Amino acid sequence: MAGKSGRSINNVPESSVKRMIFSWEGILVLIFIAVNIFCAIFSEFYNLNSLLRQMPVYLAEVFLMLTMAYILVLGEIDISVGSIVCLSATMCCIVCNSNAPFIVVVLTALIVGTICGAINGFILTRFQELPPMIVTLATQIIFRGIAEIVLGDGGSISVTNTDGFRLIGGKVGQVPYILFLVLILAVIFAVILGKSTFGRRVYAIGTNRLTAYYSGIHVQKIRMIIYTVMGTISGLCALFLVSSSYGANTTTGNGFEMDAIAMAVFGGISSTGGKGNLAGGVISAFIIVCLRVGLGQKNVNAQVILLIIGVLLVAAVALPNIVGQVKRAVQVKSK
Amino acid sequence: MNKKIISALLCGTMILGAASPVFAAGVGDGQKIALVGKSAGNAFFEIAAASFQETVEAEGGEVEVVYPETATADAQIKVLDNLISQDFDAICIAANDVNALQAKLEEAMDAGIKVSSFDSAPNKDSRQVFVNQAGTQAVGQALMDAVLDISGGEGQFAILSATSQAANQNAWIDAMKSIMESDEKYSKLELVEVAYGDDEPQKSTDQTAALIQNYPDLKVICAPTTVGIAAAAKYLQDNESTCKLTGLGLPSEMLEYTGDDDAHSCPYFYLWDMQGLGKLSAYTTMALVSGDITGALDETFTAGDLGEYTITEADDGGTEIVLGEPLQFTPENIEEYAELY
Amino acid sequence: MKQKSLMKRITGSREALLAIVLIVLFVIVTAISPSFLTPKSLMDMLKNNAVMMVMALGMLCVMLVGGIDISIMSTLALSGMSIGMMLKYDVIANPVLAFVIAIAIGIVCGFVVGLVISRADVPPIIATMGFMYIYRAMGYLVSNGGEWASAAALGSFKNFATSKFLGINCVIWVIIVCYAFFFWFMKWTRTGRKIYAVGSNAEAAEVSGINVKNTKLLVYTIMGLLSGLGGALQVSVYASAMPDMQYGGEMDVIAACVIGGVSMNGGRGTVLGALLGSLILATIARALPLIPFFNQLWLNTIKGLIILAVVIINIVLQRAADRNALKGREM
Repeated sequence: MAGKSGRSINNVPESSVKRMIFSWEGILVLIFIAVNIFCAIFSEFYNLNSLLRQMPVYLAEVFLMLTMAYILVLGEIDISVGSIVCLSATMCCIVCNSNAPFIVVVLTALIVGTICGAINGFILTRFQELPPMIVTLATQIIFRGIAEIVLGDGGSISVTNTDGFRLIGGKVGQVPYILFLVLILAVIFAVILGKSTFGRRVYAIGTNRLTAYYSGIHVQKIRMIIYTVMGTISGLCALFLVSSSYGANTTTGNGFEMDAIAMAVFGGISSTGGKGNLAGGVISAFIIVCLRVGLGQKNVNAQVILLIIGVLLVAAVALPNIVGQVKRAVQVKSK
Repeated sequence: MNKKIISALLCGTMILGAASPVFAAGVGDGQKIALVGKSAGNAFFEIAAASFQETVEAEGGEVEVVYPETATADAQIKVLDNLISQDFDAICIAANDVNALQAKLEEAMDAGIKVSSFDSAPNKDSRQVFVNQAGTQAVGQALMDAVLDISGGEGQFAILSATSQAANQNAWIDAMKSIMESDEKYSKLELVEVAYGDDEPQKSTDQTAALIQNYPDLKVICAPTTVGIAAAAKYLQDNESTCKLTGLGLPSEMLEYTGDDDAHSCPYFYLWDMQGLGKLSAYTTMALVSGDITGALDETFTAGDLGEYTITEADDGGTEIVLGEPLQFTPENIEEYAELY
Repeated sequence: MKQKSLMKRITGSREALLAIVLIVLFVIVTAISPSFLTPKSLMDMLKNNAVMMVMALGMLCVMLVGGIDISIMSTLALSGMSIGMMLKYDVIANPVLAFVIAIAIGIVCGFVVGLVISRADVPPIIATMGFMYIYRAMGYLVSNGGEWASAAALGSFKNFATSKFLGINCVIWVIIVCYAFFFWFMKWTRTGRKIYAVGSNAEAAEVSGINVKNTKLLVYTIMGLLSGLGGALQVSVYASAMPDMQYGGEMDVIAACVIGGVSMNGGRGTVLGALLGSLILATIARALPLIPFFNQLWLNTIKGLIILAVVIINIVLQRAADRNALKGREM
């Protein structure tokens, strides 16, 4: 397994197979299987076909999780991504409606996202003392605000020529293109984070920024790169989002940052930095997607679904800690 | 450890999600209809939804009322995806965005699901028919006449709307503006500003205060939104302002503020018959499923005890069924309606 | 000489810088719209931002120990909705009792959050994100899936927000009392100093005999208490309870604290800072609609830019102040 496992469970047996199972990622795989079995029993409509058909809208958010994981490993947070998605989606719809070739539309989404991300990165590296949360809160309001201004009265735009978006929303057999793209990007992002020097440096910064700085890591350069890529990926997310709605409006992407953070954290990536790997993030993303699809198919109250995700989130982090504490207490007593 | 907790939780929700079918004979016999709201926690919608459900069940059909997790089109897309996976006969939706649902609703229609809408319409390509609570012109006319009457025929008035993107509100405001220009009797009225309170009490209060401060001679505020009118009514009444209020609101929310004397900020206001809207939407959707109508222009059908309705052309080029005139709530009748909604 | 040291004292203090920013904001707004600077207008502004101002105090405590709480508006909705429904269905009628119940619900919510964070070592942002979903969902469930409690159903409870005591609105009295109490509490009590100690250096605090876990539990409980109070105020001020009250409003409270110079890493921040920070945000919200030549569509962008500008100016001035301080030492 690449990188550090998100949460450690005490008294891990030595054998490597057992270690795999008892790692957080192993447990996540078990939960994933359990969730799928449960959904299949719970909803008579839950099968591979319906899952693949409903998946694309959720997968767009999984893109965000991939880069959000890097930011969380840095020990930081970016809450402006939902607004970047909104602005990119708006701009690419406008460009699309001016009869530009589709490749220009794609580039617009990616470039607008990249610029937004670079603005975040620039402010955060230029004024390092500023907490990322507050800067991205301000840009969250600003980016969505710009989208509101661009959209004007009515606050909504639809693309007139949907050919390009139908193309990227297409499928190979039953499998949507976006699933392939998510998996490919997940592998790339996971390998970079887990195996490359760049990834090691990200962990180093997240563990102790000052030490990382003194050991010669260009902390600000790396932060700048990550925030900029976060923007680009938000642009990509926007593109696929438009392919499911053929339009954009002022609420597009609202709350996506929280979904992305929840997926990453449930996957064992610590918000305090320096811990976790993307394998966990990806598995947990699919757990959440399957759970939402399965419960949604039986029209479970949306607030109840959120309640379950909230409980999962807290329990996923709290339970290993509590188990660890209890075990330690027992050990101390037996001694 | 985790698994146990999850499965325990999910078992709990399974019980919550269980639906019980109702068997009876009627025009909706055996039909499965999904009603999609804008978001949970909208008092206004609940009333129509309850009446929708009652009507369909009385006719022997089944209704599932589904709310998206937030009041966004994104969340409604996920809900629609879920509904398409299930074997529903029809979907009746109050859209959060005019355009964004087109792809999904077309997919639904391609899958043989009938699509009707009410309260706020998706664009003409994403629906078969829209059940309009009251004609846009009729609402604009009623509000404009209320402003004229309350102001005494002349002076400044302002509009406090929801968000600048709210499609319904924008259509009514545009109607008000064109009515104002078209008739000489409104010439002494001056529309000073259209403010947006985003349907948040706090922002609506700030906006009302700003209107009063910026225009000391303001005579009337017209708030065609339920949250905005309640916030403005409270601010004006608490401050004993001479500026009066009208617009569209819920009787139960406005009960405290409605009266003819100076102690109340709102002489009268409007809304439509929410129960009637739910009922008409139910009959329309059932007629679509049974094939009595297809949503084409000039088709007619009987909506139970509501009588006969004809499909007419909507402002956006699609088709619609208009429920009727807006209802006026005055100090005399408000108590009676406040019991209902 | 004396003048110079005064200058130094002003530029050296974060709060003084903020006060200057606030005064500049006031001057600009008053120049454009003179009606802004009237007692009534200012009272309105305070009343309409009471919820944010009171909750900023709790967020100050949470941020002082290096934490964060994004579940607060869900707690507010749950407690506000609960008393709203109780008043609507005549379970209770006494306004004082309603306040007590709202605050009690808030305390319980905050206590649970605090337990999860302090005892199970869950990072605050994750724990409170989870509870943000959980409490909001509970708020919806309490409201029977979306009922409102409106003005008529709230009986005499809503009169609290319109009644006056010594010529000042009761809601504003709540703000004054809260700020006065916290000013004393944070500065002069042992517990208040413990909160600072834990935030500055948790290990050092632990070694010197402070129970870090209990201190953390305490701050989240305080936050819960103030969220409960916020819920009661929200319902009273707007005479209506809805399950989606203040959705997303937690960011305003956090922004108020950060603008007020409260450090997100803990240990730094004052009650005065929280006051000035929330006043700056309140002024922006109040003043933007007053300025006639802003297109309504631009409001959000301008609000974001002002927040960004204020925190950046704060940093730039702070850097200048630090340089000056160093210069002084060299001489």
